[in-house]
Amino acid sequence: MEKKSLLEVKDIKKFYDSKVVLDISYLSFEESKIYAIIGPNGSGKTTLINILSLLDKPNSGYLFFKEQNIYNKSTTNTLKIRRKMTLVHQKPFLFKTTVYNNVAYGLKIRGEANENVKEKINKSLEMVGLPGFEKRDSHQLSGGEAQRVVIARALALEPDILFLDEPTANIDMRHIDVIERIIKKINHKTKTTVIFTTHDLSQAYRLADRIISLLDGKLVSHVPENIFRGEIIHEDKKQWFNIMENIRFSIVTEKRGMAYIYIDPGDIIVSCQKFYSSARNSFNGKIIKISQQNNLIRLVVDIGIDLVCNITYDSFQEMGINIGSKVCLTFKASSVKCY
Amino acid sequence: MSFIIEGFQKAFVLILSLDKEIFQIVVFSLRVSTIAVFLASLLGVPLGFLLAVKEFFGKKFTVVLLNNALAIPTVVIGLVVYSLISRAGPLGYFGLLYSPTAVIIGQFLLSLPIIVALTHSAIQGIDVKVRNTALTLGATEIQAAWAVVKEARYAVMSAVIAGFGRNIAEVGAAMMLGGNIRGSTRTMTTAISLETAKGEFGFGIALGIILLVISLVINIFLSYLQSRKV
Repeated sequence: MEKKSLLEVKDIKKFYDSKVVLDISYLSFEESKIYAIIGPNGSGKTTLINILSLLDKPNSGYLFFKEQNIYNKSTTNTLKIRRKMTLVHQKPFLFKTTVYNNVAYGLKIRGEANENVKEKINKSLEMVGLPGFEKRDSHQLSGGEAQRVVIARALALEPDILFLDEPTANIDMRHIDVIERIIKKINHKTKTTVIFTTHDLSQAYRLADRIISLLDGKLVSHVPENIFRGEIIHEDKKQWFNIMENIRFSIVTEKRGMAYIYIDPGDIIVSCQKFYSSARNSFNGKIIKISQQNNLIRLVVDIGIDLVCNITYDSFQEMGINIGSKVCLTFKASSVKCY
Repeated sequence: MSFIIEGFQKAFVLILSLDKEIFQIVVFSLRVSTIAVFLASLLGVPLGFLLAVKEFFGKKFTVVLLNNALAIPTVVIGLVVYSLISRAGPLGYFGLLYSPTAVIIGQFLLSLPIIVALTHSAIQGIDVKVRNTALTLGATEIQAAWAVVKEARYAVMSAVIAGFGRNIAEVGAAMMLGGNIRGSTRTMTTAISLETAKGEFGFGIALGIILLVISLVINIFLSYLQSRKV
């Protein structure tokens, strides 16, 4: 059976000073799944998550919660929907009071009975691995603990959707693993839909059922690998994309000036030696990373910049390549997609 | 010289014997100033809040006017309210002049600018994250506003206490609007001024000492609140 969509976005546009920062024609989120919104800085991740969590409104477009158009609703009904979701900001913020009062805040403003509040606080602090922290003052907590209390505060509300804006951007390595495990656990135990932003692709892969990739405020159908910013140059009826001083790709486009390009990791041919073909781009490089991903081998090759290429397991075996192996990468000018 | 020493002796006797008239005046002063500052807080704290969070045309000028209002002499407030509530004034019908209510109105207007101005700067110092966090946790706009005021609670409390301090120590408005009527509208400050003029030095000194103790307590409390670093 097809799962019911919990949240749907249609034709949403958001401008700041007449600059389009978000332009999404359709996006939907299903119940009890984990979504990662990924993209470079300034790609519109935070704007999107603020709109989804009803903290911000787009300049045009529709947002549906369980098939109800949210922007048509009265303030009271919007509040009801807003109370079914919560957002944890990038930098954890705690009110200047005890952990207990912090976690209790959302429940109290919903008018929950005291005994329920107590029980829910216990449960959610346990969920983030901080049982017995109730009486601590918020300013006595470490960064990682504060982040977990903030998540507990959100969990106590038993939301249908939990939004996390860059949940691990401001904490140390040791705590990243803890937070990631908590996110998995929340989704697994309470069936809460989790939507988080990140610019760490490997984190998105580790946690998410689906990855939503944003670039310049637009959805892109691929995960943001091999995305580069540079300048398009037209020279003798040829078009080049300059990434760095000594690296340029042959490209087919009418555009000029600064742009983003994307090369599908599957479009790159990996060979041990240079070969002659119709493809306009050919570079020598060295393999710096190898990993397995969805039945494919993912290679990161340093050609002056890091390019990601996917090859099959059989090719990988036959070529006998390893980390440090020198390879040649070849791709067509038309494989370089320009935005 | 001896009249000063005698004055102090008499003052201590009056205080230690819990003189009825003295304490009636003290209680009246405290009551009037408390009611006035309470009413001024009810209006002033929300106004200070709105002034801090809302953007509107002429905001900067409003803040300048507000800061200027902090320096309005008490007699000017007395004069303005007097002209409004005296028999011939537009509110003369209510017969408020020389009543405790008139003193309360005067002190309300005196403490209002202080409370608005200090609340405004207290709220301005609070992180916007307080409001945003409250909203993400499902607060209504009003609940979110309350969360902000709560984060600024110590600074807002010191705004209220500063307003009270001005009320209890002022003499101009209480004199002009209350009329210094014995047993009815006599405050500590108006009594000191009258009794001293009458040569009742001990009575004045006794009230003066009590007034100083009250302001000392207020200031200790205020510096305690300010040390909580809001």
